Amino acid sequence: MQSLDIISVNLWQILISLVNLLLLFLILKKFLFKPVKKVLEQRQAELDAQYASADRAEALADEHRKEWEEKLSTANAQADAILQSATENAKYRGDKLIAEAQDRADGIIRAAETEAQLERKKATDGIKREIVEVSGALTEKMLEREINTEDHRALIDSFIEEIGDGNE
Amino acid sequence: MKSKSRRLSAVDLLLIVLMILPFVAGIVLKVLTAPPSEGISITGARVYFTIPMPIQDLPITEAQVNSVLVLISIFALCLFMTRGLKVKAESKRQHAVEWIVEKVEGLVNENMGEMFAGFAPFIAAIIALSALSSLSTLMGLYPPTSDINIVAGWAILVFILITYYKLKGGLLYYLKGFTEPIFVMTPLNILGEIATPVSMAFRHYGNVLSGSVIAVLIAAALQGLSSLLLGWLPGALGEIPFLQIGLPAILSVYFDIFSGCMQAYIFAMLTMLNVSGGFPEDEYEKRKQKKLLKKQKKLQMNH
Repeated sequence: MQSLDIISVNLWQILISLVNLLLLFLILKKFLFKPVKKVLEQRQAELDAQYASADRAEALADEHRKEWEEKLSTANAQADAILQSATENAKYRGDKLIAEAQDRADGIIRAAETEAQLERKKATDGIKREIVEVSGALTEKMLEREINTEDHRALIDSFIEEIGDGNE
Repeated sequence: MKSKSRRLSAVDLLLIVLMILPFVAGIVLKVLTAPPSEGISITGARVYFTIPMPIQDLPITEAQVNSVLVLISIFALCLFMTRGLKVKAESKRQHAVEWIVEKVEGLVNENMGEMFAGFAPFIAAIIALSALSSLSTLMGLYPPTSDINIVAGWAILVFILITYYKLKGGLLYYLKGFTEPIFVMTPLNILGEIATPVSMAFRHYGNVLSGSVIAVLIAAALQGLSSLLLGWLPGALGEIPFLQIGLPAILSVYFDIFSGCMQAYIFAMLTMLNVSGGFPEDEYEKRKQKKLLKKQKKLQMNH
């Protein structure tokens, strides 16, 4: 078995080596870079999709937040309005109630007053009648004769009137 | 699920065997055909047999065989690494292979630019083939990279690529490039053009070969020194070259591992720089635009 010289150039060997390198290039391209890059691209695509969906979700959340904030602010205003109208209503109704009560109280007082007056009048009338009767009886006794009450009614009345006026 | 992915399948095992088998075969082949040792000798690759070919006979040498064995091993490694790739990376294997691919692409992008992104597998091929060829010496194989023919083949391929990309600026522009800066420089320029692949081939080949030569010389010297210093030891003890223990291993770290990887990196680097450096980008763009204009004019004429 012989060996080559330490430097021996051989055209075919060079060609074979060249082809070998080309072959390895193709092998690496097809069996190493292609599958790995495919996976990397897929991962990138997935990542992009996830980012996009996250962005979308964020946008949606933002939208919702805005919506809710708007709703909240309008709700606040609404609540304020409702409260105001309620207080106004209550005030109005309270005023009305008070006024009614006042009216009614006034009415009651007035009625009571009139009743009292009526009562007094009745009482005075009663007293007058009593006095008339008493005075009638007294005069009858004094005069020993019957006085026709009917006839002297006017006289007696004026007399009592005078007494009543004096009493009052 | 997890234990399943962690355990190696039969195909994985087969691929691992396929990865290692070429080297084992190379070693077996070497041991079987090794001539009886006759002291130290520095020769080229051993010739297994010769195929008659036109122009020049083709001797099938150790370097050639080992080169193909390395190729097969890398192929198996590729298949092994890219098995079971998932979008959601789970295995360390996938992380490793992704790291390699991204590193190589980053290197190519950095040194050559976006336009040459397709060069990544080629650069990876150069680095892998060169480094593994040089490292095969660790297993006692004849490193293919210390054969000038192997490296010359790569360098010529690189030269073809350089010229191809230079010609993209137009043949006239390419030829004009030789006469610059002055016409007198033309022979020197042509020489320089040819010197690129030659220097690349010789640099790589010389570095690896010199490592082997120095290793052989030092081993022989240590053997001599050992028999000189320790020859008085009784019997077989005196014949054991004790001094050969240690130092050659340390030197091997530099000459075989460091130098081998370094030369692979340098070869890849020079390929990238020469191909992208020789590419006339401005001229190429100009030509592209001219062609586009012509096309548009033609379209207008047709209309």
